[in-house]
Amino acid sequence: MELERTSDVIWEIPASEGMRVPGRVYASDRLLVKAKEDQAVRQVANVAHLPGIVDASMAMPDIHWGYGFPIGGVAATDVGAGGVVSPGGVGFDICCGVRLLASNYSLDDFIDHRNDLMAELDARIPRGLGKGAIASRALVGAVLQSGAKAVLDAGFGWEGDLDRCEERGTSPGAVPKLISQKALDRGGGQLGSLGAGNHFLEVQLVDRVDDEEAARVFGLSQGMVVVMIHCGSRGLGHQTCTDQLREMGAAMARHGIGVPDRQLACVPVESAEGERYLGAMAAAANFAWANRHVLAHEARRAFAAAFGTSPDKTGMNLVFDVAHNLAKVERHRVAGRERELCVHRKGATRAFGAGHPALPADLRPVGQPVLIPGSMGTASWVLAGTDDNPAFGSAAHGAGRLMSRKAAKRREPGHEVRRELEASGISVRPGSVKLLSEEAPYAYKDVDEVVDVCHRAGLATKVARLVPLGVVKG
Amino acid sequence: MSGFFTVLSHTADTGIAIEADTFAEVLEWASRGMFELMYDLGDSAAERSVVVEVAASTAEDLVVDVLSELLYVSEAHDVIPCRFAIAAVDATSARVTIGVTPMRTELLHGPPIKAVTYHDLLVEESDDGTWRARVVFDV
Repeated sequence: MELERTSDVIWEIPASEGMRVPGRVYASDRLLVKAKEDQAVRQVANVAHLPGIVDASMAMPDIHWGYGFPIGGVAATDVGAGGVVSPGGVGFDICCGVRLLASNYSLDDFIDHRNDLMAELDARIPRGLGKGAIASRALVGAVLQSGAKAVLDAGFGWEGDLDRCEERGTSPGAVPKLISQKALDRGGGQLGSLGAGNHFLEVQLVDRVDDEEAARVFGLSQGMVVVMIHCGSRGLGHQTCTDQLREMGAAMARHGIGVPDRQLACVPVESAEGERYLGAMAAAANFAWANRHVLAHEARRAFAAAFGTSPDKTGMNLVFDVAHNLAKVERHRVAGRERELCVHRKGATRAFGAGHPALPADLRPVGQPVLIPGSMGTASWVLAGTDDNPAFGSAAHGAGRLMSRKAAKRREPGHEVRRELEASGISVRPGSVKLLSEEAPYAYKDVDEVVDVCHRAGLATKVARLVPLGVVKG
Repeated sequence: MSGFFTVLSHTADTGIAIEADTFAEVLEWASRGMFELMYDLGDSAAERSVVVEVAASTAEDLVVDVLSELLYVSEAHDVIPCRFAIAAVDATSARVTIGVTPMRTELLHGPPIKAVTYHDLLVEESDDGTWRARVVFDV
């Protein structure tokens, strides 16, 4: 598929063959090479077929081959003009996202307490197979309605936490009764668990600050130990998407919609099926917000136990919690006119700029913290949203995979990956050693380059670089 | 049983391709393949059986729905399906009997599959009467 370069980091796919808008990929030459090798660029073009899509089908610099949408895909549809919502633009892990906690601790503190801290996290953070969970299944009904607020009310977390969550940790419009019994059976017992695959809890160090003022406002400083949590809505979200996709496939014919990939199944936002999906999605998203909230609560307790203090003395304030798998109705200007859009972010992080009314007052002068995790052996980043973001307030969500799981597994066994990480000073507590091979640092693109492209393209600006000290994996 | 499955290379996710003599064998290999991506089933003995009955409007949908149902059974009941038998099947309905063993982390050798996707989905009968299929999973 041909791409036309329009700037040093922007590539356009001209609209053709049923595409309603062009495709637009934000990437350096090097990042684009891999995207062109597999089906990722084709997937950007496929998304451009969605009814009501405006401006362009976009891909962030961490673009890679997904199912339906590319990972890193952003698409906005005009709600008032028959614009659609597509569960494929959200994914099965509804509201998967990242949460970052600050702390009072330094690298020396971590080194002095490394073994105790990693042992506490290892013992306390449920992950991998099975239903181990921190919070009771009895909370799930309230969680589906009100997300992180429900677990806060039940005693998890701190009062100020919700101020630092996208949507204050509660997706509006949730309809809990649309969550099936199967979804409850599958994931109801997983509230407060990481899962597996690329999900993690990492202890990290702020090793560089690029924007002192934004870092200060976010609550970060050079040399600070921080905690990053990456996970989503677990089996409850996976089953909810499965249920909704089945219904939507049948509904498409009724709405006279055709798409080039069945995983792009969609219906108008303003339809009974569209409203059902968004209601179910919001309820599953509320499970994800609450899940990360509960895990953060337990991380605070783990630090307190390891450092011999109480959680409120750890300084583990919430920097931010942001989703990267969600569809949301937002207002944006397109062609000089403000419109109501359904913005799909499939492996893309919301990145609102300074002054945005959705941000809490203390963040408004600098913009929203944008959290971009890398791999467990390299780095992660905190950026700030920009007010002239060209992608409906979106930025990258990670490094993006470079190697297939099969190829990564062939290169080194999990125990060797663990040995190398430990030798470089990173403590690893895996749920399964075998699974480490697929998540090895070499399986991912260079996160610094992904972030550099975000910065140069005006998607978000660099604030701080974080390096891993300890990894808890599923 | 004739046929086989192979593992597809996919950047972020994973999948399987199946070749078999009959549609029933496609379902059986797809079920086995999905769980072998996650677990070392080896000589795991089934401790009990579970019967799954699914109806769908097309053969493609039937494959997705059977696999989705097995994922549900596995995660909801903390078991690993390790033996598979298609008790009855036509183009739009299937009755699958699975033997299950309790979930154990030591059997895990691949990332847990979150869901069965429709991306690149293929289920077709060839001119010579044999079948081939392709299924991509979200992990």
